[in-house]
Amino acid sequence: MATDLRISNISKIYPGCIANDNVSLQFKSGKIYALLGENGAGKSTLVKILSGVISPDNGEVFLNEKNLKLSSPLDAKKNKIGMVFQHFNLFETLSVFENLSIDATEDNKSLRIRINEILKKYNFSIDLDVPVLNLSAGQKQKVEIIRCLLRSPKVLIMDEPTSVLTEQETEELFISLKKFCDEGILIIYITHKLKEVLSLCDEVAVMRKGKVVSVSQTQNERVETLANKMVGQKLAKIKKKINISKNKDEIFKVKHLNFYSDDPFETNLINLNFSVKKGECLGIAGISGNGQNELFQILSGEIITPDTSIIFRNKEIAKLNPKQRREYLMAFSPEDRISQAAVPELKIYENVALNNFKSSNFFEKGLVNEKKIKEHSKKILSDFSVNTDNVELKSQFLSGGNLQKLILGRELITAPELLICYNPTWGLDVGAINYIHETLIKINDQEKSTILISTDTEELLKLSDKIAVIYKGKLSKIMPSEEVTPEKLGVLMGGGSID
Amino acid sequence: MSLEISFIGILIGSIMASSVPLILAASGELITERSGVLNLGVEGMMIIGAISGFALMVITDNLFIAIVGSMLSGVIISLIFGFLTQSLLTNHVATGLALTIFGIGLSAMLGKNFVGIPGKEFPILFSSLRESIPFFGPILFGHSIILYFAFTLPFLTNYFLKKTKLGLVVRAVGDSPVSASNQGINVILVRYCCILYGGAMCGLAGAYLSLIYTPQWIENMTAGRGWIALALVVFATWSPIKVLIGALIFGGITILQLHMQAIGFRIPVQFLSALPYLMTIIVLVVISRDSRKIKLNTPTSLGRIFYKEK
Repeated sequence: MATDLRISNISKIYPGCIANDNVSLQFKSGKIYALLGENGAGKSTLVKILSGVISPDNGEVFLNEKNLKLSSPLDAKKNKIGMVFQHFNLFETLSVFENLSIDATEDNKSLRIRINEILKKYNFSIDLDVPVLNLSAGQKQKVEIIRCLLRSPKVLIMDEPTSVLTEQETEELFISLKKFCDEGILIIYITHKLKEVLSLCDEVAVMRKGKVVSVSQTQNERVETLANKMVGQKLAKIKKKINISKNKDEIFKVKHLNFYSDDPFETNLINLNFSVKKGECLGIAGISGNGQNELFQILSGEIITPDTSIIFRNKEIAKLNPKQRREYLMAFSPEDRISQAAVPELKIYENVALNNFKSSNFFEKGLVNEKKIKEHSKKILSDFSVNTDNVELKSQFLSGGNLQKLILGRELITAPELLICYNPTWGLDVGAINYIHETLIKINDQEKSTILISTDTEELLKLSDKIAVIYKGKLSKIMPSEEVTPEKLGVLMGGGSID
Repeated sequence: MSLEISFIGILIGSIMASSVPLILAASGELITERSGVLNLGVEGMMIIGAISGFALMVITDNLFIAIVGSMLSGVIISLIFGFLTQSLLTNHVATGLALTIFGIGLSAMLGKNFVGIPGKEFPILFSSLRESIPFFGPILFGHSIILYFAFTLPFLTNYFLKKTKLGLVVRAVGDSPVSASNQGINVILVRYCCILYGGAMCGLAGAYLSLIYTPQWIENMTAGRGWIALALVVFATWSPIKVLIGALIFGGITILQLHMQAIGFRIPVQFLSALPYLMTIIVLVVISRDSRKIKLNTPTSLGRIFYKEK
């Protein structure tokens, strides 16, 4: 039976922000629909309304002309609307089977049979009796999908599903989604990745600032047209000129980096060796959870490992803590903006002051020199085009993009010789990503070096001079980036080997 | 020879009796914590259970009413905690500490008129078997029904958490309340139930002290057992069976060191008194070393305030 989902005049207003402004859309089964928009465009709010997590202030949802009252996630489930969230809704310490059985109405035996049928039908291979925390991101997503499939959904909503997947996993996902679509499930695919829209979806609705700005057939669209609709202005193209730096000095060299941990949430690192030259960008690719966290923490000095040698500007720094390393002109931008890079409850200038190396004179005789810090913060805000000039603002009120600009600004204003960043554009919108990419390229142009640990292959190919892949704590050989293709990276990131 | 053996039997029986309040309170708190709620008010709920059980026994002269009443009083006082932390979203730690202080104060006030009143004898089961079988008699028989209940409780708790649907829901809520809520589970309701259950068990643990173990009312008679129960839950890494082991070790060493003090060992009394705490922690740390298992058993959201998006 055909499914017809209609959203009519949905509005949702948060204090100081209109998340959804009179949104009306129509979807029919047999097609894959894309909902495209930057961060903060209102996509997530809309899907949360559709899945019953939040209720709209205004507007209605119709499924096959039946007015749905979606006041809790249960209502969405009852009405056969399935949802795979960007941040997985799984219970990490429970087994896969327990995760799937928690909202099942049947007994465990027949549930297991049904799950196995689904696994077989779609060629998924997942061990049902291991705890979810042992699974890769791609497998976790499959568990989420199975959870939806068990309820034989009419509508399946995928919220930014590829942000944690490898190229191969993405391809597999697309194959599965097309299968579901052929079976009559209506698929709504939320993303800010333009290429995915073009390769997977039949129709695309673009949202900007809470409003639907365009609905069109994807065959009539190109990357550029969609990007312009999404951002609302023309975007400059950035392309890095690759540094041919054979004769330059090595500024940073890591030897015999090993890390061993008992913690099942951590990955062991096995004998990593690499070096970075002046003005060069070394990209480290990999699916998250393959040791990037640990690597970043070791490079920044949060974790000190024995027997590792880290040479920076001809000095051995392996035993130094992050503050001491900063004094040698290293800078760090961790992945988690909210909890690692900044303290959200503190004001902007206070966050800037956290980075207190000796030369900054932020503190005199144990007292805070507020005036100096504020001046310094203002300079960062204007130099790095952060969308506010109020240094008294609490950092939690900055959007992800602005917070990232602030953090990068804080790190770069000291003119460091080496910047190590980990997923600097994670979860940001096109405009902010562009800005940060430009900034990172500018650093290299000024003969400063960067190490870019990222899960975004496109970003790595755009910014790196050399690329290596980390998989299960081991580093592949380091390749010049002109020899690297997305396919090659995908193979290495999935644990395969090339040559 | 036979005298010694029967003495050891009696000793083990008394160790079991002394560990009952710990097992009850810790098993209750374990369920509460598994749902992600950290209730530090165990001591307060126990002492309220102790005084209300004893007062009801004196007033009604009915032990059944006294036991049920003590559990109800535990439920009521934990309801205050539940309302504050789950509905008004107050901090778990501060609220729990306040609950303990409140419970100790309230019990002292309510208990004024009950000081010095002798308790009533609590019926014991299989008392004839206790005398007739050497060694095992005093271990297995002649205890109150509460003791038998306490010793089956950790196994029931384990079964509940691992094998039942409801147990799965409790663990899921403790692991990730946001995910649970998005799955349509009523997180607040589950947590309320777990808090109230914890309160009932703590109330019962208190009543065991004032009605059975030392049948009388003394101000502050729980004497820190609530805190020990809390520590047991953590050091047993949220495993009910390990809670039982820990409670027995604590009870055992408490009794043994009393005997050692009586015999007059040349070890400082202070050290002997500290021994139960020390040994319990050491043993539980040693048997719970597997960091993988700890990760899997620890309620990830423990003590964190959950509020629903609207």
